[in-house]
Amino acid sequence: MRIGVFVCQCGTNIAATVSTERVASAAMALRDVVHAESIQYTCSDPGQRTVIAAAHKYALDRVVIAACSPRMHETTFQRTMAQAGINPFMMEMVNIREHCSWIHSDMEVATEKAIDLVSMGVAKVRGQTPLFSSHVPVVSEVLIIGGGVAGIQAALDIADAGMPVTLVERGPTIGGNMARLDKTFPTLDCSSCILTPRMVEVKHHENIRLMVNSEVEQVRGYIGNFEVDIRKKATCVDEEKCTGCQICEQKCPSEAPDEFNAGVGETKAISIAFPQAVPLVASLRKEYCRLYIKGKCGICKKVCPADAVDYEQEDELHTEKFGAIVVATGYELFDWRQAYPHYGGGLYPDVITSIQYERMLSASGPTGGHIQRPSDGAEPKEIVFLSCVGSRDESIGRPLCCKVGCMYIAKQAILTREHIPDSRTYVFYMDVRAGGKGYDEFYRRAQKEAGAVYLRGRVGKIYPRGGKLVVMGADTLVGENVEVEADLVVLATGIDAAAGAGSLAQRLNIPYDQYGFLSESHPKLRPVETTTGGIFLAGACQGPKDIPETVAQASAAAAKVIVLLSHDELETSPMIAEVNHMRCIGCFKCREVCPYHAIEEQGLRDGRRVAVVIESLCQGCGLCTVACPPSVISLRGYTDNQLIEEVTAVLR
Amino acid sequence: MVSTAYSYYPGCSLTSSATEYDISFRKVVEALGIQLDELEDWNCCGASPAPHHKAETLGVLLPGRNLHIAGASHDAIVAPCAGCYNRLKYAQYKLAGDQDIREQTSEVFQAEVRYQTEVLNIVQMLNREITPEALRERSQGRLANIRIGAYYGCLLTRPADILGFDSPRDPRKMRPLMEATGAEVPHFPFKTECCGSYMGLARKDILLKASHRIIEVAVSTGLDALVTACPLCHQNLDLRQEQINKAMGTSLRMPVLYFSQLIGLAMGISPEELELDALVVQPDMDRWLKGVA
Amino acid sequence: MSGGDIKLVGFLCNWCSYAGADMAGTSRMAQPAEMRIVRLPCTGRVNPLLVLKAFQEGADGVLVSGCHPGDCHYNEGNYYAHRRLELLSRMMAVYGIEPERFRYTWISASEGARWAETVTGFTETIRPLGRLNLAGGGARDDDHHQGPAAGSASPAEKR
Repeated sequence: MRIGVFVCQCGTNIAATVSTERVASAAMALRDVVHAESIQYTCSDPGQRTVIAAAHKYALDRVVIAACSPRMHETTFQRTMAQAGINPFMMEMVNIREHCSWIHSDMEVATEKAIDLVSMGVAKVRGQTPLFSSHVPVVSEVLIIGGGVAGIQAALDIADAGMPVTLVERGPTIGGNMARLDKTFPTLDCSSCILTPRMVEVKHHENIRLMVNSEVEQVRGYIGNFEVDIRKKATCVDEEKCTGCQICEQKCPSEAPDEFNAGVGETKAISIAFPQAVPLVASLRKEYCRLYIKGKCGICKKVCPADAVDYEQEDELHTEKFGAIVVATGYELFDWRQAYPHYGGGLYPDVITSIQYERMLSASGPTGGHIQRPSDGAEPKEIVFLSCVGSRDESIGRPLCCKVGCMYIAKQAILTREHIPDSRTYVFYMDVRAGGKGYDEFYRRAQKEAGAVYLRGRVGKIYPRGGKLVVMGADTLVGENVEVEADLVVLATGIDAAAGAGSLAQRLNIPYDQYGFLSESHPKLRPVETTTGGIFLAGACQGPKDIPETVAQASAAAAKVIVLLSHDELETSPMIAEVNHMRCIGCFKCREVCPYHAIEEQGLRDGRRVAVVIESLCQGCGLCTVACPPSVISLRGYTDNQLIEEVTAVLR
Repeated sequence: MVSTAYSYYPGCSLTSSATEYDISFRKVVEALGIQLDELEDWNCCGASPAPHHKAETLGVLLPGRNLHIAGASHDAIVAPCAGCYNRLKYAQYKLAGDQDIREQTSEVFQAEVRYQTEVLNIVQMLNREITPEALRERSQGRLANIRIGAYYGCLLTRPADILGFDSPRDPRKMRPLMEATGAEVPHFPFKTECCGSYMGLARKDILLKASHRIIEVAVSTGLDALVTACPLCHQNLDLRQEQINKAMGTSLRMPVLYFSQLIGLAMGISPEELELDALVVQPDMDRWLKGVA
Repeated sequence: MSGGDIKLVGFLCNWCSYAGADMAGTSRMAQPAEMRIVRLPCTGRVNPLLVLKAFQEGADGVLVSGCHPGDCHYNEGNYYAHRRLELLSRMMAVYGIEPERFRYTWISASEGARWAETVTGFTETIRPLGRLNLAGGGARDDDHHQGPAAGSASPAEKR
């Protein structure tokens, strides 16, 4: 065994409080150390060349570098090792900067500590064995879960790069929440004018397979090699045959709530979601259908000119392989009714949500673009907007900001003035958050051009009086209570992750927060990755976002997927767990604790059942090594013996 | 010896400005066949001033003594006055959670303080003693002619983490029994709006404005009466209704009943026995009970 | 060993606490010098026997630090660590080791100051206790004291 120790001075960062020369000479006294020296900047090009030269000269097989944090330069020096012809894992870094020279001022104390740390590093590297990365083949197909604007963007980007994409959407059409919007801030672009062409592109793209009415049930496997069960739910309509003529919808006698229009107006049990739906195919909701409730009807089947209605249709279960997964499940609006009894809790028909208002603003919406009071259909003149209903409200346990409320209130105030020129709008707000290109200007426009009156304060109560709604709030800037008599109150409700996001996250084995938002791997540097390799996030499923941000993140996720799948094979880290099969007792406690399902059962020729680590799945956490009763699992690079040697190097 | 009866803590209001609350409560309890033992040698609950005294423990010592006495003989103490209930619960909360205060209190009492007696307000107690079904059975829709609204005020529900009684924003615990009287109980949006509380002493204008609005919304909601469990609310809404009308230039009329009076009426106890004539704003009993045998 | 008479060992997870300790260094937060840090992928890798081994070999205090609950890089490693280490800390007196000599805590990558405070506090707790004397039958009167048996499972898994 021939160990070389290199003690970095890091200019004066280390050398000012640690005598690197003394550390190097003390290291020479350690067992198997054949060379030790102090280098001014070890990570610099000349520094690395010095290490390589010494490795050759002294025929080193192991190296200890005492320098900064391994989190800073471990990869750098692993590469140096490869250049020096030494296995990269036969190098141990010792942190004598962040953990020593920078936190101590006494040269004597710091030097002694550095010597201790080096002897720990030497003890550990003595037990190290060469490790080799392995390679696993990669499936080039990509799964995208969610067909909102995020999923659409990611699908198109990846498909344009030549990779086959399967886009799975739970609902009957793609388009997501964006398809329900009338206009978008701050440009007042028509939402469907910019979105529907993209939806059609998805439908016709040769590399995209679209699966609507479908959900991901099970996910097995690992980065590069996922195996996914997708359930395509029966809709009683043959997607291939249906032409979207809507005759069935016109003739259907069963009314059903119109989810696309957020409950404004009604639709039929068999219907298409909206005129620009993609695919333009009807689907039947059995829970509202007369045939399934009363056992008698069948009109839609009779009237369908394409013979597309099929009551016998059953769910289909598809099992497919994918190399990467993009989760783009989006958001839904917080249900405010329980939490805000003081706003009537849903009792007053003229207190509506912003998405309901948005549907009324839309020319293709249920009111044909006319703003109407739900109670009597009259055109409202005094309209009050409430921001932060279910956002930034600690009193109901929802401190999060919805991020888009301020801007869409400004948009709706501007649009209100266009629709009803003699209307007056009031906005009760907490703060106006208009950080974004052209956003603040847009909000000012709502005040100046649309004449919206902004009042800073939360509304305490809404109650009916003489056919109007009294909105009792405070203007905290003036320090007075304010009362507005409104014809219509619009609540900017908060944002939650889409229903079921949490359970999907569990199936994907990725973390999520208390609102169901999926967690990125690192908030700054890995914003679209998850902690599970090969699974990426796009859009509001990760946290509240507006459209530009969502699209940007979707393209970022697509770029990550393209990078991943641009290789035929993946290199996996060799610092993973390993079971000694000779001594495994087959209790499978390791399998119980493994967060990655990376342990499988295998039969040996002698009939014993033993645990085997699936190398491509193991992330190297080491949980199993501790759970193993006979202690026969070792974590490469952190074996029991190595750790004991490291600890006891300075204790004995 | 621990009795199955309730220890009864009337407090000052029920022995002075709100004797009708005391009397009607006793009548209802009697009709239900429940034993009430008035707490022996009870003292002031501390009301609003004691917790603000510079001797921090005063707000615990005063109600704490009542708890201590009740604890010797009863499992539960009922305080119909929302203020008394609030203070007793506060003392209990402090004594349970703060060892220093518990030790100081024991030192003053020269005995290990007993604070674990269950503290109940009138709504809790009656909900426990008569189910809505049983009351419906007894009332036979007696109050079907009227529309009533519960007015909870603040002391009965806040602070919610200490009282643990009902939602402070949307309390509903009075509703089941109120509906069982046969009366219609529409949504009353002002059920927790401030009545002005003890502002009557310093800034009567604020109080009159606050109480006026409650009455006004009660009228516009089409109510025949408000129902409350707090003597201070009752005082502001009933006793001061004439002042309110005078100050605001209105001529509103809204009877305000105590919860016990309402339940008593439903049980068939006569308005006289329930001291309804002690109310300043008199309900039209003829209309209320029209057609009732 | 330098920095006074006592010897302290810290087992830190790579993702949160080790990075937190790095941050304390980057922010030049002065700390006592008795602590020797061992880097691990996760506190879930910390075998309670490793902690006992450290005491047996002469450590006077052992500190384990990982990611906050919910923040584990491996999703749930620190929950297992919590169960194992909580049980271990209750067993300390049985082994004849003052319970204060063993501590586990959660420190994130952004909590450099908290790491510095933790090391300082832990060191100041152990200093007055002095060296751990296991050979003489333990620091506590415990006639039945036995050293940890090697090779068996950690207590937490033997539920």
